[in-house]
Amino acid sequence: MIKTIKASKSEKVLFIFLISLSIFAFSSFFLLKNKCLFVEKNNLNTLEFIEPNNIAVMNIECGNVIIELYPDVSPKAVERFKILIEKKMYDGSAFYKVSENTFVQAGDIEYGNINNLDYSKIGSGESGLGLLKSELSDDFKFTVGSVGFARSAEFNTEDSEFFITLKEIPIYQGEYTPIGKVIRGLDILTKIKTGNKAIYVLRPDYINTFRMFNSN
Amino acid sequence: MKILFLFIFLFHISHVNADEIYNLLKIPNLEIYKLKNDNNIRYLSAKGNFKIGPNKNITCDKVNLDNLNAKFPIIEKNLNKYNSDFLKKIRLKYIVLCQNLFISEINTGGIPNNKNRTLILDINFNQKYFERMIHHEIFHMIHNTHIKYFDEDKFSSLNQTSFNYAECSTCSNRLNLDLYEKTHGFLTEYSKSIPSEDMAEIFSFLMTDKEIIKDIISTDKILNKKVNFIKSNLAKIDKNIL
Repeated sequence: MIKTIKASKSEKVLFIFLISLSIFAFSSFFLLKNKCLFVEKNNLNTLEFIEPNNIAVMNIECGNVIIELYPDVSPKAVERFKILIEKKMYDGSAFYKVSENTFVQAGDIEYGNINNLDYSKIGSGESGLGLLKSELSDDFKFTVGSVGFARSAEFNTEDSEFFITLKEIPIYQGEYTPIGKVIRGLDILTKIKTGNKAIYVLRPDYINTFRMFNSN
Repeated sequence: MKILFLFIFLFHISHVNADEIYNLLKIPNLEIYKLKNDNNIRYLSAKGNFKIGPNKNITCDKVNLDNLNAKFPIIEKNLNKYNSDFLKKIRLKYIVLCQNLFISEINTGGIPNNKNRTLILDINFNQKYFERMIHHEIFHMIHNTHIKYFDEDKFSSLNQTSFNYAECSTCSNRLNLDLYEKTHGFLTEYSKSIPSEDMAEIFSFLMTDKEIIKDIISTDKILNKKVNFIKSNLAKIDKNIL
């Protein structure tokens, strides 16, 4: 005759603990993998701006980054930026140069689109709209969330590439043409994939869409 | 396929310190030492050793902060002799301070780079010549940006016809930087290396020991002509530098 042995109270507690631990571990695996989990997405329907004509919305994996453009500081640069946005030329543009907690860079129209990445030439592409003269400002401070046009070692070589600072970078003052500032979505930018210590990012994150707020 | 794997492998191992200063100057391991100055020059110091150049042939070590703090007033005093307009014209904005600067394994005091508006200075360079070295290197930046004013053939023609410069600045043993007792057209042995070094030596003395030069050129006709050549052409860039 087989005797049934009843589990003691402590054995039951241990059993329940192990079950709940495994459920927690299993669900964490999926939850923690989602880098955008605790990031505010910035729903455009709930936002209003005083000067919507100068508000651009960059949609990336974790949500909308809202940028206020400064035509008073750099009129030509902002005009170019708006043209590139309106022509949807930034859609699919890869954040190929990312320095963790420092800056993210995208906007190589020719070689930096996610559908047509050319690692051997990335950073040297052109938009086809020609080069711009640098519009440097000794007053504009590159604080957290500043957006500037990238350039080569020479001035007056701005085209379409831009960067966004993730920390204050005083040395950029008077060096790069400012375009505007991020007013919402900084934490979204910090989720962009970095290249660890490498200068370029392999399989980079990219811009889904880039639109003027008015056109949304 | 192998090439693709090799490329991906290299891509991952070619770690460069991609910070904000590297992004601007293409020199890794730098940090801001002093940013705001009257003449807009910006001082950066090496927080780690770095290797740059096409073949990584330029190397320099991180600075010892106490050492830099001790020498910085001398550096600043000498660079303050140049105003911001002049520095803009010669494309100089960043001074990179490091220790034990070498180019192709040859120890050097400074390396100018007009393209990046940068002058790298070795703060451990022989203190006897340190101040002069700063101006010497600045002359190279002046020369590089104003080649037409400092024509080497014209300058060389001021020497005695029997004299010939060396093929390059380091391919002779004319390296001594001490001032000659009897100049005979040249201030130092290094002046005899190549025309641009000769000009740079004269300029460096003009910036540091103007009175000595005044005395020397009163008896040395060749040097007198050379000094006038430098002065008159510099005045075309900025009348107040000398």
